[in-house]
Amino acid sequence: MGREVSESCVESLLTEIVSSYCNHFYANKPELAARRIEAIGYQVGHQLSERYTMDRPRFSDHLEAIKFICKDFWSELFKKQIDNLKTNHKGTFVLQDSRFRWLSHMSIDLSSESSGSAQDPSTMAESKAAQATGMYLYFPCGIIRGALSNLGIPCAVSADISSLPACKLLLLNTLRCFSR
Amino acid sequence: MIVCVAVVGHQNNPVYIQSFTEADDALKLHHIVHCSLDVVDERVNNPKKSGPTLNETFLGLLYPTENYKVRFHSAYVDAVSNPFHVPGKKITSRTFAERVSNIVKSFGLSSAG
Repeated sequence: MGREVSESCVESLLTEIVSSYCNHFYANKPELAARRIEAIGYQVGHQLSERYTMDRPRFSDHLEAIKFICKDFWSELFKKQIDNLKTNHKGTFVLQDSRFRWLSHMSIDLSSESSGSAQDPSTMAESKAAQATGMYLYFPCGIIRGALSNLGIPCAVSADISSLPACKLLLLNTLRCFSR
Repeated sequence: MIVCVAVVGHQNNPVYIQSFTEADDALKLHHIVHCSLDVVDERVNNPKKSGPTLNETFLGLLYPTENYKVRFHSAYVDAVSNPFHVPGKKITSRTFAERVSNIVKSFGLSSAG
């Protein structure tokens, strides 16, 4: 169905998006770069959800929509399904991917980042690496937020990368939508 | 025959509207489209009355065997995938207008027999 590109092209594009926005368009303003990247992801997610729901019947409730995100949508994007889905039944969902594909080719080198300051170099290096890696999650978080928004579930999406290569996505405030 | 094709956004805003007869003017078409939205709303909000049709992507069952609905949907998805299209705003793509017009033409031809 449709045209395809090689995965390495997609990965290179993602790397370049982060690099351009962080080092060029919004140099020294990581929050603005992050917001812009997330917004691009939001539009992409909106459009992809339109395409990937084309052959399906309407979702009967928003749990069905979220399951669609975890299975079919995740498979289209990342060639696998979400490994674990948790909810507190009060509007918060946690999606866990044990090996997030878009980070799988990234090496996160902690040892080369020592700065010689008084602070323990390994924690500084770790937080720098975490911050750098975190920038690559704004685009996929935006995609999921855009897809959910188009399916009638406006919410906030954030990523927890404390245990790479696993990635957890948090969906917050999913209940403040339609109440018929 | 198909008289009008309309795409309506999340806030009941018209995203695309095109008539295929000479008679109707734009205002009358908008009015008719809005009235037909009531039928859609009724189907969506009354699951017991509509029964098995609720989960159908296409709420109006005119010609169940025609695949023109799929072709319309496919044209819409392609139009919305345009990175220069702003979600919620009107569809300005000429390609979309052409595809819609072709579907309407072929529908007119196939139902004339």
